[in-house]
Amino acid sequence: MRKFDLELAVGLFMIAGILCLGYLSIRLGKMEVLGGEGYELQAVFSNSGGLKEGSSVVIAGVEVGRVKKIYLDEYRAHTILTLPSGVEIQEDAIASIKTKGLIGEKYVEITPGGSEKVLKPRERIRDTQPAVDLEQLISRYVFGKL
Amino acid sequence: MGPARLWYSTVLFLLTLLITVPSQAQGPTEQIKETTDKILAIVSDPSLKSPDKKEEKIRRLRKVVDERFDWREMSRRTLARHWAERTEEEKEEFIRLFGELLERTYRDKVDSYSGEKVVFVGERVDGDYGAVKVKVVGQDQRDIPVLYRVKKKGNDWLVYDISIEGVSLINNYRSQFNNIIVRSSYDKLIKMLRAKVQGGEEKSEE
Repeated sequence: MRKFDLELAVGLFMIAGILCLGYLSIRLGKMEVLGGEGYELQAVFSNSGGLKEGSSVVIAGVEVGRVKKIYLDEYRAHTILTLPSGVEIQEDAIASIKTKGLIGEKYVEITPGGSEKVLKPRERIRDTQPAVDLEQLISRYVFGKL
Repeated sequence: MGPARLWYSTVLFLLTLLITVPSQAQGPTEQIKETTDKILAIVSDPSLKSPDKKEEKIRRLRKVVDERFDWREMSRRTLARHWAERTEEEKEEFIRLFGELLERTYRDKVDSYSGEKVVFVGERVDGDYGAVKVKVVGQDQRDIPVLYRVKKKGNDWLVYDISIEGVSLINNYRSQFNNIIVRSSYDKLIKMLRAKVQGGEEKSEE
Protein backbone atom coordinates (compact mmCIF):
# COMPACT_ATOMS: atom_id res chain seq x y z
CA MET A 1 0.00 0.00 0.00
CA ARG A 2 2.74 2.41 1.01
CA LYS A 3 4.87 1.56 -1.96
CA PHE A 4 1.91 2.15 -4.22
CA ASP A 5 1.32 5.58 -2.66
CA LEU A 6 4.98 6.46 -3.07
CA GLU A 7 5.05 5.47 -6.70
CA LEU A 8 1.82 7.33 -7.32
CA ALA A 9 3.22 10.44 -5.69
CA VAL A 10 6.43 10.27 -7.72
CA GLY A 11 4.43 9.72 -10.88
CA LEU A 12 2.15 12.66 -10.22
CA PHE A 13 5.11 14.83 -9.33
CA MET A 14 6.78 13.87 -12.61
CA ILE A 15 3.67 14.72 -14.58
CA ALA A 16 3.29 18.04 -12.78
CA GLY A 17 6.95 18.82 -13.48
CA ILE A 18 6.63 18.02 -17.16
CA LEU A 19 3.47 20.09 -17.45
CA CYS A 20 5.18 23.06 -15.82
CA LEU A 21 8.15 22.70 -18.11
CA GLY A 22 5.86 22.57 -21.11
CA TYR A 23 3.96 25.64 -19.99
CA LEU A 24 7.20 27.55 -19.38
CA SER A 25 8.61 26.68 -22.80
CA ILE A 26 5.49 27.84 -24.56
CA ARG A 27 5.28 31.04 -22.56
CA LEU A 28 8.95 31.90 -22.92
CA GLY A 29 8.93 31.03 -26.59
CA LYS A 30 6.27 33.66 -27.23
CA MET A 31 7.66 36.31 -24.90
CA GLU A 32 10.72 37.50 -26.82
CA VAL A 33 12.27 40.90 -26.12
CA LEU A 34 9.00 42.78 -25.65
CA GLY A 35 7.78 40.82 -22.70
CA GLY A 36 4.74 39.61 -24.62
CA GLU A 37 3.34 42.99 -25.70
CA GLY A 38 3.78 44.44 -29.14
CA TYR A 39 2.57 44.22 -32.69
CA GLU A 40 3.70 42.81 -36.01
CA LEU A 41 4.55 44.43 -39.31
CA GLN A 42 5.52 42.92 -42.63
CA ALA A 43 8.40 43.87 -44.88
CA VAL A 44 9.42 42.38 -48.20
CA PHE A 45 13.02 42.45 -49.41
CA SER A 46 14.44 41.47 -52.77
CA ASN A 47 17.47 40.09 -50.93
CA SER A 48 17.50 39.31 -47.21
CA GLY A 49 21.24 38.68 -47.21
CA GLY A 50 21.03 35.83 -44.73
CA LEU A 51 18.84 37.55 -42.17
CA LYS A 52 17.71 35.01 -39.59
CA GLU A 53 14.59 34.58 -37.52
CA GLY A 54 15.43 36.20 -34.21
CA SER A 55 17.62 38.88 -35.80
CA SER A 56 17.23 42.35 -34.34
CA VAL A 57 15.03 45.16 -35.55
CA VAL A 58 16.80 48.45 -34.85
CA ILE A 59 15.68 52.07 -34.86
CA ALA A 60 18.25 54.82 -34.26
CA GLY A 61 20.70 52.20 -33.13
CA VAL A 62 18.38 50.84 -30.47
CA GLU A 63 17.18 47.25 -30.67
CA VAL A 64 13.40 47.48 -30.42
CA GLY A 65 12.18 44.21 -31.87
CA ARG A 66 12.93 40.94 -33.58
CA VAL A 67 12.45 39.27 -36.90
CA LYS A 68 9.73 36.78 -36.10
CA LYS A 69 9.53 34.95 -39.39
CA ILE A 70 11.18 34.89 -42.80
CA TYR A 71 9.83 33.04 -45.78
CA LEU A 72 10.20 33.04 -49.53
CA ASP A 73 7.26 34.10 -51.65
CA GLU A 74 7.47 34.89 -55.38
CA TYR A 75 11.25 34.75 -55.02
CA ARG A 76 11.33 37.61 -52.53
CA ALA A 77 12.07 37.50 -48.83
CA HIS A 78 8.95 38.17 -46.78
CA THR A 79 9.58 39.03 -43.15
CA ILE A 80 7.37 39.50 -40.14
CA LEU A 81 8.82 41.93 -37.63
CA THR A 82 7.72 42.39 -34.05
CA LEU A 83 7.77 45.86 -32.57
CA PRO A 84 6.83 47.27 -29.17
CA SER A 85 3.34 48.80 -28.93
CA GLY A 86 4.69 52.25 -28.08
CA VAL A 87 6.80 52.58 -31.22
CA GLU A 88 4.90 53.91 -34.23
CA ILE A 89 6.13 53.30 -37.76
CA GLN A 90 5.05 55.82 -40.38
CA GLU A 91 3.68 54.84 -43.73
CA ASP A 92 6.80 56.14 -45.51
CA ALA A 93 9.37 54.57 -43.19
CA ILE A 94 12.14 52.62 -44.92
CA ALA A 95 13.28 49.20 -43.75
CA SER A 96 16.82 48.22 -44.74
CA ILE A 97 18.98 45.24 -44.09
CA LYS A 98 22.26 46.19 -42.55
CA THR A 99 25.28 44.33 -41.26
CA LYS A 100 26.80 44.51 -37.80
CA GLY A 101 30.30 45.68 -38.58
CA LEU A 102 31.18 44.98 -42.18
CA ILE A 103 30.89 41.22 -42.29
CA GLY A 104 28.87 40.48 -39.18
CA GLU A 105 25.32 39.30 -38.74
CA LYS A 106 22.42 40.97 -40.50
CA TYR A 107 19.71 43.03 -38.90
CA VAL A 108 16.78 45.19 -40.00
CA GLU A 109 17.04 48.93 -39.57
CA ILE A 110 13.95 51.12 -39.84
CA THR A 111 14.36 54.84 -40.59
CA PRO A 112 11.23 56.74 -39.56
CA GLY A 113 9.35 58.67 -42.23
CA GLY A 114 7.49 61.97 -42.29
CA SER A 115 3.95 60.88 -43.05
CA GLU A 116 1.16 61.43 -40.55
CA LYS A 117 -0.25 58.05 -41.48
CA VAL A 118 1.00 55.32 -39.18
CA LEU A 119 1.12 51.63 -40.06
CA LYS A 120 -1.43 49.44 -38.29
CA PRO A 121 -0.62 45.94 -37.00
CA ARG A 122 0.12 43.41 -39.75
CA GLU A 123 0.43 46.12 -42.41
CA ARG A 124 3.42 46.24 -44.69
CA ILE A 125 6.39 48.60 -44.75
CA ARG A 126 6.32 49.50 -48.42
CA ASP A 127 9.78 50.92 -49.02
CA THR A 128 12.60 48.54 -48.35
CA GLN A 129 16.27 48.36 -49.14
CA PRO A 130 17.81 44.93 -49.69
CA ALA A 131 21.07 43.64 -48.26
CA VAL A 132 24.17 44.77 -50.08
CA ASP A 133 25.76 41.78 -51.69
CA LEU A 134 29.42 42.54 -51.22
CA GLU A 135 30.64 39.73 -53.43
CA GLN A 136 28.34 40.79 -56.23
CA LEU A 137 29.62 44.35 -56.00
CA ILE A 138 33.22 43.20 -56.03
CA SER A 139 32.62 40.92 -58.99
CA ARG A 140 31.06 43.78 -60.92
CA TYR A 141 34.07 45.95 -60.46
CA VAL A 142 36.50 43.16 -61.16
CA PHE A 143 34.61 42.29 -64.31
CA GLY A 144 34.35 45.94 -65.25
CA LYS A 145 38.11 46.40 -65.15
CA LEU A 146 38.65 43.92 -67.95
CA MET B 1 32.85 56.94 -63.66
CA GLY B 2 30.49 55.05 -61.39
CA PRO B 3 28.13 57.90 -60.52
CA ALA B 4 28.14 59.13 -64.09
CA ARG B 5 26.98 55.80 -65.31
CA LEU B 6 24.36 55.73 -62.61
CA TRP B 7 23.06 59.11 -63.68
CA TYR B 8 22.88 57.96 -67.24
CA SER B 9 21.33 54.74 -66.14
CA THR B 10 18.61 56.81 -64.59
CA VAL B 11 18.27 58.86 -67.71
CA LEU B 12 18.28 55.88 -69.99
CA PHE B 13 15.80 54.10 -67.84
CA LEU B 14 13.44 56.93 -68.19
CA LEU B 15 14.01 57.05 -71.89
CA THR B 16 13.33 53.41 -72.53
CA LEU B 17 9.77 53.96 -71.43
CA LEU B 18 8.96 55.76 -74.65
CA ILE B 19 9.17 52.62 -76.70
CA THR B 20 5.88 51.22 -75.43
CA VAL B 21 2.64 51.27 -77.41
CA PRO B 22 0.34 54.15 -76.49
CA SER B 23 -2.56 53.12 -74.27
CA GLN B 24 -5.50 54.90 -72.70
CA ALA B 25 -4.40 54.85 -69.09
CA GLN B 26 -0.63 55.10 -69.05
CA GLY B 27 0.98 52.91 -66.46
CA PRO B 28 4.13 53.76 -64.52
CA THR B 29 6.43 52.06 -67.02
CA GLU B 30 5.07 54.02 -69.96
CA GLN B 31 5.26 57.32 -68.15
CA ILE B 32 8.78 56.83 -66.89
CA LYS B 33 9.78 55.73 -70.35
CA GLU B 34 8.45 58.99 -71.74
CA THR B 35 10.73 60.91 -69.45
CA THR B 36 13.75 58.68 -70.08
CA ASP B 37 13.34 59.02 -73.80
CA LYS B 38 13.22 62.78 -73.51
CA ILE B 39 16.33 62.77 -71.36
CA LEU B 40 18.22 60.47 -73.69
CA ALA B 41 17.30 62.69 -76.59
CA ILE B 42 18.78 65.67 -74.76
CA VAL B 43 22.02 64.02 -73.66
CA SER B 44 22.68 62.50 -77.05
CA ASP B 45 21.76 65.65 -78.95
CA PRO B 46 24.87 66.63 -80.95
CA SER B 47 23.90 70.30 -81.00
CA LEU B 48 24.17 70.41 -77.18
CA LYS B 49 27.54 68.72 -76.92
CA SER B 50 29.73 71.80 -76.79
CA PRO B 51 30.78 73.21 -73.37
CA ASP B 52 28.98 76.51 -73.90
CA LYS B 53 25.74 74.58 -74.32
CA LYS B 54 26.10 72.84 -70.99
CA GLU B 55 23.85 75.21 -69.05
CA GLU B 56 21.15 74.90 -71.69
CA LYS B 57 21.43 71.13 -71.56
CA ILE B 58 21.12 71.10 -67.79
CA ARG B 59 18.18 73.50 -67.89
CA ARG B 60 16.33 71.28 -70.34
CA LEU B 61 17.13 68.15 -68.37
CA ARG B 62 15.91 69.77 -65.17
CA LYS B 63 12.65 70.67 -66.86
CA VAL B 64 12.07 67.08 -67.95
CA VAL B 65 13.00 65.76 -64.52
CA ASP B 66 10.65 68.24 -62.83
CA GLU B 67 7.76 66.75 -64.78
CA ARG B 68 8.39 63.30 -63.41
CA PHE B 69 9.81 63.82 -59.93
CA ASP B 70 7.61 64.82 -57.02
CA TRP B 71 10.07 67.09 -55.25
CA ARG B 72 7.69 67.88 -52.41
CA GLU B 73 7.09 64.22 -51.68
CA MET B 74 10.83 63.50 -51.83
CA SER B 75 11.58 66.40 -49.51
CA ARG B 76 8.98 65.26 -46.99
CA ARG B 77 10.35 61.73 -46.98
CA THR B 78 13.91 62.96 -46.66
CA LEU B 79 13.27 65.27 -43.70
CA ALA B 80 10.95 62.59 -42.26
CA ARG B 81 10.21 63.35 -38.61
CA HIS B 82 11.45 66.89 -38.98
CA TRP B 83 9.11 67.84 -41.80
CA ALA B 84 5.96 68.43 -39.75
CA GLU B 85 7.73 70.94 -37.49
CA ARG B 86 8.67 73.21 -40.39
CA THR B 87 6.70 76.27 -41.44
CA GLU B 88 5.41 76.43 -45.01
CA GLU B 89 8.18 78.89 -45.95
CA GLU B 90 10.83 76.58 -44.52
CA LYS B 91 9.32 73.67 -46.46
CA GLU B 92 9.37 75.63 -49.71
CA GLU B 93 12.98 76.62 -49.10
CA PHE B 94 13.99 73.06 -48.33
CA ILE B 95 12.27 71.70 -51.44
CA ARG B 96 14.13 74.21 -53.56
CA LEU B 97 17.51 73.53 -51.91
CA PHE B 98 17.12 69.78 -52.07
CA GLY B 99 16.39 69.92 -55.79
CA GLU B 100 19.40 72.14 -56.33
CA LEU B 101 21.61 69.90 -54.23
CA LEU B 102 20.78 66.92 -56.43
CA GLU B 103 21.19 68.96 -59.57
CA ARG B 104 24.58 70.17 -58.42
CA THR B 105 25.62 66.64 -57.46
CA TYR B 106 24.88 65.29 -60.91
CA ARG B 107 25.43 68.25 -63.19
CA ASP B 108 28.92 67.28 -64.22
CA LYS B 109 27.77 63.84 -65.28
CA VAL B 110 25.64 65.13 -68.12
CA ASP B 111 28.66 65.26 -70.36
CA SER B 112 29.72 61.68 -69.87
CA TYR B 113 26.91 59.88 -71.66
CA SER B 114 28.41 57.16 -73.80
CA GLY B 115 25.64 55.22 -75.43
CA GLU B 116 24.13 53.50 -72.42
CA LYS B 117 20.83 51.78 -72.94
CA VAL B 118 17.96 51.27 -70.56
CA VAL B 119 16.20 47.94 -70.42
CA PHE B 120 12.88 47.70 -68.65
CA VAL B 121 12.79 44.65 -66.46
CA GLY B 122 9.41 44.86 -64.81
CA GLU B 123 6.87 46.80 -62.86
CA ARG B 124 4.86 46.23 -59.72
CA VAL B 125 1.72 48.18 -58.92
CA ASP B 126 -0.09 48.20 -55.60
CA GLY B 127 -2.97 50.64 -55.64
CA ASP B 128 -1.58 54.16 -55.88
CA TYR B 129 1.99 53.01 -55.46
CA GLY B 130 4.29 51.35 -57.93
CA ALA B 131 7.84 50.32 -58.59
CA VAL B 132 9.49 50.17 -62.01
CA LYS B 133 12.60 48.06 -62.36
CA VAL B 134 15.17 48.74 -65.05
CA LYS B 135 18.74 47.98 -65.77
CA VAL B 136 21.16 50.27 -67.45
CA VAL B 137 23.46 48.49 -69.81
CA GLY B 138 26.77 50.19 -70.45
CA GLN B 139 29.49 49.68 -73.00
CA ASP B 140 31.23 46.98 -71.01
CA GLN B 141 27.99 45.03 -70.61
CA ARG B 142 27.86 45.82 -66.89
CA ASP B 143 24.23 45.94 -65.79
CA ILE B 144 23.25 48.44 -63.17
CA PRO B 145 19.88 47.74 -61.55
CA VAL B 146 17.78 50.84 -60.95
CA LEU B 147 14.42 50.92 -59.23
CA TYR B 148 11.97 53.81 -59.52
CA ARG B 149 9.36 54.11 -56.80
CA VAL B 150 6.33 56.01 -58.01
CA LYS B 151 3.11 57.35 -56.57
CA LYS B 152 0.00 58.15 -58.55
CA LYS B 153 -1.17 61.76 -58.57
CA GLY B 154 -4.23 62.14 -60.76
CA ASN B 155 -3.22 60.48 -64.01
CA ASP B 156 0.49 60.90 -63.44
CA TRP B 157 2.90 58.47 -61.89
CA LEU B 158 5.51 60.59 -60.15
CA VAL B 159 8.83 59.37 -58.81
CA TYR B 160 9.40 59.65 -55.07
CA ASP B 161 12.53 57.54 -54.74
CA ILE B 162 15.29 56.01 -56.85
CA SER B 163 17.28 53.00 -55.77
CA ILE B 164 20.52 52.30 -57.58
CA GLU B 165 22.13 48.93 -56.87
CA GLY B 166 19.55 48.59 -54.12
CA VAL B 167 20.59 51.79 -52.34
CA SER B 168 17.75 54.24 -51.86
CA LEU B 169 18.36 57.93 -52.46
CA ILE B 170 15.75 58.95 -49.91
CA ASN B 171 17.15 56.66 -47.24
CA ASN B 172 20.64 57.97 -47.89
CA TYR B 173 19.73 61.62 -47.43
CA ARG B 174 17.25 60.88 -44.66
CA SER B 175 20.02 59.43 -42.47
CA GLN B 176 22.46 62.22 -43.26
CA PHE B 177 19.99 65.03 -42.66
CA ASN B 178 18.64 63.41 -39.50
CA ASN B 179 22.17 63.14 -38.09
CA ILE B 180 22.83 66.82 -38.74
CA ILE B 181 19.51 68.00 -37.34
CA VAL B 182 19.75 65.86 -34.22
CA ARG B 183 23.40 66.68 -33.53
CA SER B 184 23.15 70.39 -34.34
CA SER B 185 19.92 71.91 -35.59
CA TYR B 186 17.71 72.33 -38.64
CA ASP B 187 19.29 75.75 -39.17
CA LYS B 188 22.70 74.14 -39.41
CA LEU B 189 21.37 71.78 -42.09
CA ILE B 190 19.91 74.66 -44.09
CA LYS B 191 23.17 76.59 -43.80
CA MET B 192 25.10 73.57 -45.07
CA LEU B 193 22.68 73.07 -47.96
CA ARG B 194 22.87 76.73 -48.94
CA ALA B 195 26.66 76.65 -48.81
CA LYS B 196 26.79 73.49 -50.87
CA VAL B 197 24.45 74.81 -53.48
CA GLN B 198 26.06 78.24 -53.72
CA GLY B 199 29.65 77.35 -52.99
CA GLY B 200 29.70 74.27 -55.16
CA GLU B 201 33.11 73.02 -54.12
CA GLU B 202 32.64 73.30 -50.34
CA LYS B 203 32.54 69.99 -48.54
CA SER B 204 29.89 69.74 -45.85
CA GLU B 205 31.07 68.34 -42.56
CA GLU B 206 29.06 66.29 -40.11
